[in-house]
Amino acid sequence: MTTTTTVATGSGFSSEDMVLNIGPQHPSTHGVLRLRLTLDGERIHHAEPIIGYMHRGAEKLFEVRDYRQIIVLANRHDWLSAFSNELGVVMAAERLMGLEVPERAVWARTLLAELNRILNHLMFLGSYPLEIGAITPIFYAFRERETLQAVMEEASGGRMHYMFNRVGGIKEELPEGWTTRVRQAIGDVRRRMPEIDDLIRHNDIFLARTKGVGVLSAADAEKYGCSGPIARASGFDFDVRRDEPYLAYGDLNVPVVTRQAGDCHARFECLLDQVLVSLDLADACLAKLDQLTGPVNTRLPKVLKVPEGHTYAWTENPTGINGYYLVSRGDKTPWRLKLRTASYAHVQALTTLLPGTLIPDMVAILGSMFFVVGDVDK
Amino acid sequence: MSQNKPAPGRALFSGLGVTLRNLFRRAHTKQYPDVKPELPARSRGVIALLHENCTSCMLCARECPDWCIYIDSHKETYQPEGAARPRQRNVLDRFAIDYSLCMYCGICVEVCPFDALFWSPEFDYVETDIREMLHEKEKLQSWVATVPPPPVNDANGEPAKELVAAGKAREKAETAPDS
Repeated sequence: MTTTTTVATGSGFSSEDMVLNIGPQHPSTHGVLRLRLTLDGERIHHAEPIIGYMHRGAEKLFEVRDYRQIIVLANRHDWLSAFSNELGVVMAAERLMGLEVPERAVWARTLLAELNRILNHLMFLGSYPLEIGAITPIFYAFRERETLQAVMEEASGGRMHYMFNRVGGIKEELPEGWTTRVRQAIGDVRRRMPEIDDLIRHNDIFLARTKGVGVLSAADAEKYGCSGPIARASGFDFDVRRDEPYLAYGDLNVPVVTRQAGDCHARFECLLDQVLVSLDLADACLAKLDQLTGPVNTRLPKVLKVPEGHTYAWTENPTGINGYYLVSRGDKTPWRLKLRTASYAHVQALTTLLPGTLIPDMVAILGSMFFVVGDVDK
Repeated sequence: MSQNKPAPGRALFSGLGVTLRNLFRRAHTKQYPDVKPELPARSRGVIALLHENCTSCMLCARECPDWCIYIDSHKETYQPEGAARPRQRNVLDRFAIDYSLCMYCGICVEVCPFDALFWSPEFDYVETDIREMLHEKEKLQSWVATVPPPPVNDANGEPAKELVAAGKAREKAETAPDS
């Protein structure tokens, strides 16, 4: 007969796991993400992202809004990539209607989408170093953002929520001389981008905080459905713009920025280099736009009804792949518009990224996933 | 980067170099309350109402995604000169936009068929009491003075439909047989 004796339970120092709630209002979570961490001392044992604090029921609201009103909502779920969000909605509707968008509108959309990508990336290029202690880069990033926002505002009237896409094209013609001013703005940003690069990319403290921290393997990135710069920083070479071109990307040469390391620094570098790529793409769009003549929208009936059917449109949003599954029953509102957002997948990956890291690294990792909580909760 | 590792601190100096260079450049800061920003004509700041043009057709109120436009109107009978029967027209009693709800999407301006609503770039109308954000007809009318003329369209695109309409009207007047 065997007897099992358990010795020393509850005696001496018991290092019981501590449960720590981060958020819902921790500054490093860009909004209201809550993380429930199980800690062993400073080390994270288990991490569980708890989402939904910013749920605004966008998908349900889509069902009771017509296609123009949906753009208002689509603008807002990921407030940093408003233009790209609008695109998916109108592209899905146009595809179901079998609508051919005027070429000039396609190129204008491509240009604006790239400018929006730069704006989004600049935001993160500024805010990410800020989160881990480098205050200066955000001032430089915001100066560039201001330059580009000025031209976006001149065309669309909005600085963040552009409301410039419509089913069949864009809302209105571009103002006279706008392309010249965009070219000037792009030139200014390109000239000053090395400053952000010099400030932070190789900074020793920044490297110490980000190199080898929060390594996401390509397999994990794929498993969690990560996309965009997050997945590409892990060597997962996929970009909808190149691999399944929409808009005018088929006619453009889209270099895809990838890194192999998969750590926080690689993700940051991906963003930094993508800005330069997007600046070139925007320039190419401008050159084409100056040659094209014609309308920028299609005459459509006042009450827009999308024929019965379903389609899936996906776009390479600044932070990753956004998908729009549109089911229409021939009404002026969609029957269902399912939204697949990049940030949602990226937040899920935190469950594997965080365990094993230290609390201070958590901030670096959270920041480097470049998610927008509005985009997670929708 | 990892192969030819730069001397420690070198990157720090390149960063400080950027700061130093910018130290001698003109500041980018806008002296906002003292210097008003120059905003483009399309800027969506506040919606102005030209109530003379409004027929209280309710299109804007119905199309508004969050129903922040309130319209009250009544019908009035009047006798136009030379007409056999009296006619009816809508009289606008109340037109209010609740800016604490407004999402600044511009759908109301877009759908207005009678050019009664316009965007103005004015933006500094914050209030300490949220109820003050409800702008009534008179307040909305006061914004009309700040509405800028729209920008000229890009030469590669189509001209504004107002210009096309004006051109047609002129052509018609010139080719009229006797006038």
